[in-house]
Amino acid sequence: MTVSPPERRALVIEDDPDIRMLLTSLLKREGFLVTEAGTVREGVEAARRGVDIITLDLNLPDGDGLDACSQIRPISDAYILMITARGSEIDRLQGLDTGADDYIVKPFSPRELVARINSLFRRQNRQLAASTAATEADTNERQRAAQVQQSLLPRHGVELPDYDIAGEFRPSRAVGGDFFDWYPTPEGMHFTVADAMGKGMGAALVAATVRAVLRSTAEEPDLARAFTSAAASLDADLERASSFVTLLHGRLTASDGAVDLIDAGHGLALHVSPDGSWRRLASGGVPLGTVPGWDWEVMSVTLAPGDALAIISDGLLDIYDTLDEFAAAAAGVVAASASSADACGKLLILAEDPRVEDDVTAVVVRRSTGAGA
Amino acid sequence: MQFTIEDRGTYTEVVANGRLNMVSAPTLRSTVDEAVGAGSRHIVVNLASTDFMDSSGLGALIGCLKVARQAGGDLRIACAQKQVQMVLELTNMNRVLAPYATVEEAFARD
Repeated sequence: MTVSPPERRALVIEDDPDIRMLLTSLLKREGFLVTEAGTVREGVEAARRGVDIITLDLNLPDGDGLDACSQIRPISDAYILMITARGSEIDRLQGLDTGADDYIVKPFSPRELVARINSLFRRQNRQLAASTAATEADTNERQRAAQVQQSLLPRHGVELPDYDIAGEFRPSRAVGGDFFDWYPTPEGMHFTVADAMGKGMGAALVAATVRAVLRSTAEEPDLARAFTSAAASLDADLERASSFVTLLHGRLTASDGAVDLIDAGHGLALHVSPDGSWRRLASGGVPLGTVPGWDWEVMSVTLAPGDALAIISDGLLDIYDTLDEFAAAAAGVVAASASSADACGKLLILAEDPRVEDDVTAVVVRRSTGAGA
Repeated sequence: MQFTIEDRGTYTEVVANGRLNMVSAPTLRSTVDEAVGAGSRHIVVNLASTDFMDSSGLGALIGCLKVARQAGGDLRIACAQKQVQMVLELTNMNRVLAPYATVEEAFARD
């Protein structure tokens, strides 16, 4: 079987327009599809969209290449070639765990650059020949995992008269550690928004386990007891996986808008009034898997007609300096939205920012204005 | 991210420079594991130069805390910057890992 080489994509992160043009034309001549970026911010954003090789200048207007490298590494497996103006830097750089694969000194000859890149791809092709089958299996598995994870999310809101319920989730990779869940109960509904540590497959597996264990406690009428028993059975698993989970779990009584909530280190639940005023609901509980035997406190709030409960994962927090700034922005979006689905969509648009590196999730439960009338 | 270890007599100081994230978290874990393995019981992680910490970084600190406590010691953190403080506050982990203002204060009352 012959493997046809896939199109190779290169990203040039370089602020000097002349050098950028030179690198771009060299890489194009070698058959690469080239994207250009002049800043760390643009570079990280472009890397997220997927590339095979990145040339990275060490001095960029909005940060240094080392920082860019540490931001790119978790989101991309691209080969990173660091470009520095000082030969004396190379020794120091090679001693650091920068995440770069190779270094080259400016001014470099075009031939040297091309030789480096070709030797890299020869090396990769040899590995590729050996691992293509494995990689394909891996990719398939990852796609399957993404499908499974999406299928675990509730497909529809719970049909509750007088309530509008919506949720949205955007993983930073194919799969992520965030999830949300809800299901109807005789009184109203139960819901969960959670974030397992880290990103990718490991986090997704932990998330799926937590979802299943929490659902298994739905029949227990006492929320604190249900949660404590779920936490106890998850502790050992989380300990073994060296992971932890922040989450918010709540129970809504539809008739009077009463919500009982447990906050396990999630911290981003907002009670939003129709005029946009808000209160952050936090009870001081630690995440699951951190302190065995923790006693979580149950908070109670009442959703008056028109009030909303918005639960947002910490991914979005990367944009704001303080919790209050974040809460005010999110509450403003929720209060101004026509529906819960609209609010979730707008919250995720806020998260379309290169500074947001994490999974992002939003769940909104709103009691309609005419309720209880 | 780089970690350096300093023996301060009554405690061991681990200085963390840069971003404490998915990439650097395993190095922090192994650095503290080694220190505890070598007999250190009181560890202070100096976060003065840690300008960013994500959930994996926090996970590493929690793992290190468990390792130190299992060995009969403790791990404390000092000089947490604004973003790190916010992560600790949001997750309520400041109730378990309360940041000290200076490295010296962390074990001063023990």
